[in-house]
Amino acid sequence: MIEIKKLNKWFDDFHVLADIDETIERGQTVVICGPSGSGKSTLLRCVNGLEPFQKGEVTVDGISVSDPKTNLYKLREKIGMVFQRFELYPHMTAMENITLAPLKVRKWPKKKAEMKAMALLERVGIPEKADAYPANLSGGQQQRVAIARSLAMEPDYMMFDEPTSALDPEMINEVLEVMIDLVKEGMTMLVVTHEMGFAREVADEIIFMDKGKIVERGTDEEFFTHPKSERTKAFLSQILV
Amino acid sequence: MFDAVIRNFTFLIGGLWVTFQLSFFALTGGIFLGMLVGLARLSKRPWIYYPVTGYVNLLRNIPLILVIFWFYFVMPILVGRAIDPFPSAVISFVVFEATYFGEIFRAGYQTISRDLVHASYSTGMTYWKTARYITIPIAFRRMLPSLITQSIVTFQDTSLAFVIGLRELVRRSSIVDNLEVRSIELYGFAALVYLIVCFIGSKTSRYYEEKGRKANIL
Repeated sequence: MIEIKKLNKWFDDFHVLADIDETIERGQTVVICGPSGSGKSTLLRCVNGLEPFQKGEVTVDGISVSDPKTNLYKLREKIGMVFQRFELYPHMTAMENITLAPLKVRKWPKKKAEMKAMALLERVGIPEKADAYPANLSGGQQQRVAIARSLAMEPDYMMFDEPTSALDPEMINEVLEVMIDLVKEGMTMLVVTHEMGFAREVADEIIFMDKGKIVERGTDEEFFTHPKSERTKAFLSQILV
Repeated sequence: MFDAVIRNFTFLIGGLWVTFQLSFFALTGGIFLGMLVGLARLSKRPWIYYPVTGYVNLLRNIPLILVIFWFYFVMPILVGRAIDPFPSAVISFVVFEATYFGEIFRAGYQTISRDLVHASYSTGMTYWKTARYITIPIAFRRMLPSLITQSIVTFQDTSLAFVIGLRELVRRSSIVDNLEVRSIELYGFAALVYLIVCFIGSKTSRYYEEKGRKANIL
């Protein structure tokens, strides 16, 4: 379970996150949407300790992220993260990208790591790309390798930071399908996205953020059909054309 | 006309061997220390950043020849006994070149996006594991042309170690010249040797660089 309580963060004078409260239970999928600059990505980075915050508390399975005694590296092993621009290691093949952390962090034998990686590449539908370098893969393929790389550490949680916004339209679905499969398998997911079709289909809760605050939250249909705040209505009318 | 060179060929080429040895240690040490200096120059911890930045600024504003001299005369005071020119030269070069390689690595690290590093952290990789497997290898590849240029400069600069009596190629040319008095041929020969080695070195490296670029791994 991920618990966020009264989370506040400032970049100098800029109040990027204001009093965020949110609980994500095991097996839930929470979708976060909102205009750019509303603090969605920063929120994800506070959950796995990539960004420090000044006030409030974030706990993952009861372990506090901001506690100086917490081993953040250890904590991050169970929270996979997928980025907007894929962020594959450019000097490594797809296989090497996926096996790096299992080999160096988990200290798995090479055989085991490679078998796991192959199984994951099968699962995301591109086993034939194992020896390809990122530069020779399409955006959709790169993002699927990136998802496989996160899954290789067998995380309990997965966070996605606008995983489809850097993709050409025809590649969006191949990535969403992989994500939907993950939801069906019971993965706990925190997804920043504007893919409202995806949100409608799988989200247990949808959060709308603006200017560092959670403006509205809802469970699928009611969120879309009867948004309470004007801000949410305006935003939804723009992305649901 | 190169008979003075031919008569002393083994002695002179022995000097080239010393030059190679010094270059090898200077480059291995300088590049390794440079990787760390580059990391330290981007450190957010003041107690790492400021001392290392001070060291880099100091060394980069002193002529190399003074560093070589200074080490040679200060080392005996620090160590308590006279020190051979070779180890003294190696230390001077490593300490000096590391500042130049450090700035090259720093520029290389800065080409790596924060999210790429975050991606590594998000799989549980530590700072040092990320440096070892991600940031350093990528910076190394991206900065290869600058690293080659600086390595060639270092190779040529090792001739400055002749001021502390290290019998490398230039020193040996001058020793032979004292006996044979054939300055133009002898120093011309030394220059030719440097030219050939540097030319081959730079061509070979460019070849591998190009190969890497074509394979899309840079």
